[in-house]
Amino acid sequence: MTVADPARGSSLVAEVEAAVKASAAAGDGSAFDPARLLELDRQERFPDLECALLDRCGAPRAYLPPEWGGATGGLPETVEVLRAVARHDVTVAVAHGKTFLGTAPIWVAGSHGQREWAAREVLGSTAFSWGLTEPDRGSDLLSGRLTAGSDPAGWRLDGAKWPVNNATRGRVCTVLARTDPAGGPRGFGLFVVDKSTLSHGSWRCLPKQPTHGVRGADISGIAFEGAVVGDDALVGRPGSGVETVLSALQLTRTVCTALTLGAAGQALRLGLGFAAERQLYGTTLLRLPQARHLLGAAASSLLLAEAASAVAARCAHALPGEMSVVSSVVKAGVPDWGQDAIDTVAELLGVRGFLVGHPAYGAFEKLERDHRVAAVFDGTTAVNRNALINQFPTLARRFADRRCARDGLRVAADPAAPLPDLDHRELRLISRDGCSLVQALPDALSELATRATSGGEHGRVPDRVVHLAELLEGEARRLLSHVAALSPTPREVPTEAFELARRYEVCFAAAAAVHLWLAEPRPERRGPLWDEALWLEATLDQALSRLNPTAQRESQHLDCADRLVTALERHGPDRWTSPFSSPHRTASAAPAAAGTGDPR
Amino acid sequence: MTTAHQADPYAQVTAVADEGGAPPDTGGSVAELEELFGEANDPRNPVGHRAVLAADERHTTPSEAERLLDRYGLNAEFVPAELGGRLTHLEHLMEVARAVYRRDPALGLGYGAGTFMAAANVWTAGRPEQRAELARAVLDGGKVACAYHELAHGNDLSRAELTAYPAPNERPTLLLNGRKEVVANLQRAARTVLFARTSPDGGPRGHSQLLVDPERLPAHTVEDLGRFHTAGMRGVRLGGVSFADTPVPPESVLGSEGRGVETALRSFQLTRIAVPGMTVGLLDTALRTAVRCAEERQLYGGAVTALPLSRSVLSEAFADLLLADAFTAVAARTVHTAPRQAGPYACAVKYLVPSVLMRAVKDLSALLSSQFYLREGPHALFQKLLRDVLPSSFGHASRASCQVGMAPHLPAMAHRAWGKPDQAPLSEATFQRDAPTPPLDFGALSLTPGARDPLVRSLVCLGEELPASGRSEERRVADAVRQHLAALQELAARSAELPPRELGPNAGASTFALTARWAGLLAASACANSWWRDPARCPTDAGDPVWVLAALHRLGAHLGHHRDRLPPDLAEPLFRELTRRVEKGETLDLGRRPTRT
Repeated sequence: MTVADPARGSSLVAEVEAAVKASAAAGDGSAFDPARLLELDRQERFPDLECALLDRCGAPRAYLPPEWGGATGGLPETVEVLRAVARHDVTVAVAHGKTFLGTAPIWVAGSHGQREWAAREVLGSTAFSWGLTEPDRGSDLLSGRLTAGSDPAGWRLDGAKWPVNNATRGRVCTVLARTDPAGGPRGFGLFVVDKSTLSHGSWRCLPKQPTHGVRGADISGIAFEGAVVGDDALVGRPGSGVETVLSALQLTRTVCTALTLGAAGQALRLGLGFAAERQLYGTTLLRLPQARHLLGAAASSLLLAEAASAVAARCAHALPGEMSVVSSVVKAGVPDWGQDAIDTVAELLGVRGFLVGHPAYGAFEKLERDHRVAAVFDGTTAVNRNALINQFPTLARRFADRRCARDGLRVAADPAAPLPDLDHRELRLISRDGCSLVQALPDALSELATRATSGGEHGRVPDRVVHLAELLEGEARRLLSHVAALSPTPREVPTEAFELARRYEVCFAAAAAVHLWLAEPRPERRGPLWDEALWLEATLDQALSRLNPTAQRESQHLDCADRLVTALERHGPDRWTSPFSSPHRTASAAPAAAGTGDPR
Repeated sequence: MTTAHQADPYAQVTAVADEGGAPPDTGGSVAELEELFGEANDPRNPVGHRAVLAADERHTTPSEAERLLDRYGLNAEFVPAELGGRLTHLEHLMEVARAVYRRDPALGLGYGAGTFMAAANVWTAGRPEQRAELARAVLDGGKVACAYHELAHGNDLSRAELTAYPAPNERPTLLLNGRKEVVANLQRAARTVLFARTSPDGGPRGHSQLLVDPERLPAHTVEDLGRFHTAGMRGVRLGGVSFADTPVPPESVLGSEGRGVETALRSFQLTRIAVPGMTVGLLDTALRTAVRCAEERQLYGGAVTALPLSRSVLSEAFADLLLADAFTAVAARTVHTAPRQAGPYACAVKYLVPSVLMRAVKDLSALLSSQFYLREGPHALFQKLLRDVLPSSFGHASRASCQVGMAPHLPAMAHRAWGKPDQAPLSEATFQRDAPTPPLDFGALSLTPGARDPLVRSLVCLGEELPASGRSEERRVADAVRQHLAALQELAARSAELPPRELGPNAGASTFALTARWAGLLAASACANSWWRDPARCPTDAGDPVWVLAALHRLGAHLGHHRDRLPPDLAEPLFRELTRRVEKGETLDLGRRPTRT
């Protein structure tokens, strides 16, 4: 592991944030002008100015590894950049971020030449798309019928991908195709198809599909009929397509959490703003205990998502072999918690959250529709839970062994620790080590107990937080014993298993929160959310109520929500920013590393 | 029953129907409507799913649908029989309108519920000539706009700013000043019920309703604020209006001046029960759509319904629907059998039922996977329903305002009602759908339910009555009932100690949590007694108590008592009953009526 100076972090997030904010504030139809975003949605028009602005301010660098000219912060920075976009508009994040999805397989399995080419194209703002789904076949990769047959010039593609984000606007589409007519896990190849190189008439775009949310996005399709691509289009080996896709999905599923963090963060800001200005019953909504309770619940749900996402993105660098578990956990859990936060704010906003085009609150009904795509994108919640259930036996065993990769875990959970480069070769379809973060939860909770008020100088935690930690440990142990007791059923996965998967996700997020807290050397200096371990308490409280709603004392639960809102009021004008902002920097961020070629 | 058109329109509503009786032939009315609507899946049907979706895209409802409802005379359902209409039983109205919601919720709200909300004010508080005038307008097919809402004040009625003050130096005239916003049918209503401040001093007697004929308002004093567009219920024409010294005659005031808040709270007792009950139709169609989608879609080499998780999700939504139906139906019947208690009961329904319906639709969306996100294709109706269900929780009265309506009654109930063996439970007829009831008596609606809670008493009595031995299913229901009753002890103990400051909108979140528990007990009582008094309502191949066990289980999940999934021995038989009904074309509520949706 290279030691880099975390203080010299990347500035891409800040640059993108500043550019988007300035353009949004300029108003008058400029990119990200809130009124324009609502109008684009109404007309179902693609956010072209917005994507162009993101291209100009270098956002595509967030989609590249640092050694190929990408931003220095690795996957955490990819998440942060897309979150910064999504908090203004989820549709834009979906439209622009698709390039990350379309290129991810190239970093996983592409040749040196393919990587070099892809880096050049991405930096030149070429839009990529990722063609996995086919009509009527949903998330089931192995059911794909698009074929790649051998051709004197390389490969001949026949069949259709639909619905695919950016299929029409993207010049390049990365396509999973059946290379063996019999199909099967080794029967597919992955092809990078540059539409500009295809012969006329061998392909056509399928019309844009009207959708519930992200209405401006280019959700369309592409059909090939004897489209011939060269051998250089094949990523990896002819039979390795599914494996490559599953590895790449571990990264893209983790990055998808950015959509939720952005959307739910925006929802919370709107909710807090509304509550502060709304006059009723002789006071403001923000002063009514029940309204504070709802806002606190929304905020702590979001905290759960923040903690899980922050650590998951770092895991890609620090514990890549565990990403098959980690990515499924956050892809299933984070949209769920974020949607709950959004729904809770909706209750508070009432009709304002329902009006289309309202100058101040119209963004809400749009983000509410937009965000629902997060649970569907890149594998639905059920698909991800199923993937997690497949690894239950290992997860139970490793938890019982209390085995964990300590070094990797320490880096994953400490935002100040320098990250090693993301080594795509270390991604595994099955995690041998289970999930270190959850396996270390009992130890972490014990350590937290030593920080009780009576403990050391820094990072003290009140007894009530220790009490929550004890309850949580009991729930986690109970959960894992149920996971262990679940007999593997190859054919029919029982409903109960999905419920256990849901709880495992919550445990992961709670573990992420505890580890993040323990990694912070001087929490008392970090502002109101850190005082008396408030955010940690709120996160654990929220986790508990999702594990066992009767475990926690109601009075403490309500009191915690109220204090959380008080802290948010003091938190600053924007009122919601992640408490876990990290200085983005990976090993390859060393000067002049960019563009020097593949270090492997 | 009085024959509709011979009734004396000036008769006191309460005086005429002094005998109640069996509800009208709801099955017949629903069947007639279903027949008029025709086959929903027929793409050529001008009121089929395709037409409904296309209309939604245009922010309207199918034009043919409104003509059909005109022909059917849906408006007569909203007018009391003694005024020439067909309204005698709230439950009947609810079920007929539910059929409209099944076809298109925007039609249900835009054509039906909106008018009823406004009219209920007039039936409750209007003078005889006002009631007769409105009855004529409604029976002629007119819409009535219920103009309460001002964007700046939402559910806080006491802050409504539209004023109706006497004009200075003129013959008796009131001048309207101010605005109303996001009101259904405001631009096309034959009459409008306006909620206005009539006393500059404000206070609890500071507001009144006015019944006005929009055509008689001088055009130059009225500004049309245009249409408000919303995420869901897009076909409902939501309008706004701004008045500037608009003169209206003083006799526009409903009943006597200064009773506005009281009238609203009394008359909305009916609508807070009926509208959630109608919205059960929305879930009916969403669930039906989800079943069809799950049966058609293939995943991992089989139908989606082959996966146990899919069957659980569908069964849970089915149980949610039955829970919502049972609670709203019983609440509607208590308006007849225990009208003084309708205030807190209506708040409990409006607090609980919409959130049950919303969550069910949301859970179903996960089952549809990416299909729910598409606005085209065979299951595109679902995304419309997902949008249409949103306003059910905040529209008409927010969850919080309903809880505020319940809290003040907690101490009295705890001290003097829940634990008193001498307090009678509700009559058996309250839980039997077709049994005769006392008439619907608008005059009996009250703001003071007193220390009486016969619906909770019915649960207590049932707990005592249910055999501890006997059929194993009955023992299981008895266990479930006792579990809910255990919550009553703590609720009573904590409610008894609530200080007065905890009984208003400023109450702590823990007091709000108590109102939620109370609502839960009321719903539990409605479900359990509906099964006990009327066991054959929802048979399954695993026995008749399956539905009530499932409904009580789901209720526990909705109240946050647990987060468990429905156990397979309930989920599987419910799933089979659900698919049987979808295949046979039966509604998914306890009524089990034929439907062509």
